[in-house]
Order: sequence, then structure tokens, then C-alpha cells
Amino acid sequence: MTVPISAYLMLSVGLLVLGMLGVIRRRNPLLLLLSIELMLNAGNVALIGFSRQWNDPSGQIFALVVMVVAAAEVVIGLGLTVAVFRSRMNLDVDEMSSMKG
Amino acid sequence: MAEQVTFAIAAIGALGFGIGVVFFRDAFRAAVSLIGTLLAVALLFIVLEAPFVAALQVIVYAGAIVVMFLFVIAYLGDRPIVPGTDRMDAVQPVAWIALAGVAAFGAITVLASAIGPEHSVSDTNVGSPASIGHAFLNQHIIAFEVTSLIMLIAAVGAVILAKRAVMLEGGR
Repeated sequence: MTVPISAYLMLSVGLLVLGMLGVIRRRNPLLLLLSIELMLNAGNVALIGFSRQWNDPSGQIFALVVMVVAAAEVVIGLGLTVAVFRSRMNLDVDEMSSMKG
Repeated sequence: MAEQVTFAIAAIGALGFGIGVVFFRDAFRAAVSLIGTLLAVALLFIVLEAPFVAALQVIVYAGAIVVMFLFVIAYLGDRPIVPGTDRMDAVQPVAWIALAGVAAFGAITVLASAIGPEHSVSDTNVGSPASIGHAFLNQHIIAFEVTSLIMLIAAVGAVILAKRAVMLEGGR
């Protein structure tokens, strides 16, 4: 008796909604990035679940690519956060409204 | 039976630590909570017969990415949020409606769709490094190359961002 894939998908929906909740209510860009990581992980859970459902490694390949994209996104996001902090000394996404350097 | 128990533990862990990520006031605690979520998800990957992805999840995510988060949090310190004017106040209800919509849509879709026959024959080789390497280099070679290009661009971008930030402060 195995766990049906719908259970994994429901967990994935739950994690995605949690991440969205974080993106809506957080104002610190660092915590915003953490919530985005949560959402990417929700996608990974669904992908790996599908991969087992159909005995196909493609889902795992997608999950690995998502992990690489997450790593790249964190590098750039944290770089931007540090750069903005150094020039503004304030961390609030609502204040980062101008694109001037 | 063992799979169900492991799934229950990992799911509760993932959601519980996820709530911590969203609701902890302290940035450091939120980042450590994310480690818990990532480890619980890695446990799920092991249950789903994907040991290679589970290992990479622990090494790359819980190891490298979260450590970088912790570095930046320690570097910037804990900034008190200045209660300023929220420009997005007007669209806040729209965001909540969108959130409820995604939750309802996801739940209804999962519950209403009959996905394939139940997983019966388990080919444990699908999650092995050899199988993933074959799939990467035989079927997904473009994704592989694009992935390496993305990492190169991200590394160059990070260096340029850091250099600009240092130059703004008058350094070299």
C-alpha cells in the first residue's frame, strides 16, 4: 500500500500557498527570497512525484534544473539586496521603487 | 505502511517548518526553519525513490544556498522594519484573492483529476545517478547546456554587482 500521488500533490499545493503567503506579507527582501525558495520546493515535490508515478527520470531532471535556477536566483537576489542595502541603508521592498543606480 | 508513516512525518515537518519560514519575525530563525523544510522535502524524495535528487537537495539547498542566506543575514544584521507608507496597500485585497484562488484551484484540480493508474511496479533504477546521467546527456542535453550557461551568467552578474557596491563606497 503506497501513498497515492494526490497526497504528494496536495502537500505541494500547501507549500506553494505558504510561499505565496510569505511573498504577500513579508517586506524584507531576504525573507521574500526565502518564501520563493519554499515555492520552488513545492514545484520540486510535484515533479519528483510525477517522476515516480510514470517511472521516468525526466521529472527528476526538471527538479535538478529548478534547483540550479534557484541557486542562480539566490545569488543575484542576495547580491541585489546587499547592493541596495549599501546605498540606501534600509531594507524594505516598498522603498525600492526607483531603478536608478 | 512504512511509506505512509514516513510520508506523514515528512509532510507535517515540511508544512510546520514552512509556517515557521513565513511567520518567524527573526530573519535568522526563518532561514534555519527553511533548513527544516528542505530536509523534510529531501526525506520525501527518498520515499519517492529519488535518492540522487535527495542527496543534491541536502548538499546544494540545505548546504550551500541556506548557508549563503545565513551569511547575508549575519552581514546585514537584523534591521527593524520602518513602518512607512505601503504603496501596495491598494492592491492588497487582490493579492489575498489570488492566494485563495490558487489554493482552491490546486485543491480542486488535484481532487477532481484521476491521475493514471496507481503506481505499482517500482523500478528503483529510475532515481539512480546512472539513469539520471543518461537522461541528461541523451534526452535533455540542451537543458544541461542552458543550465551551465545560467550558472555562468549568475556568477558574472554577482561579481559585477559586488564590484559596483564596493565602488559606490569609494573602494577599489
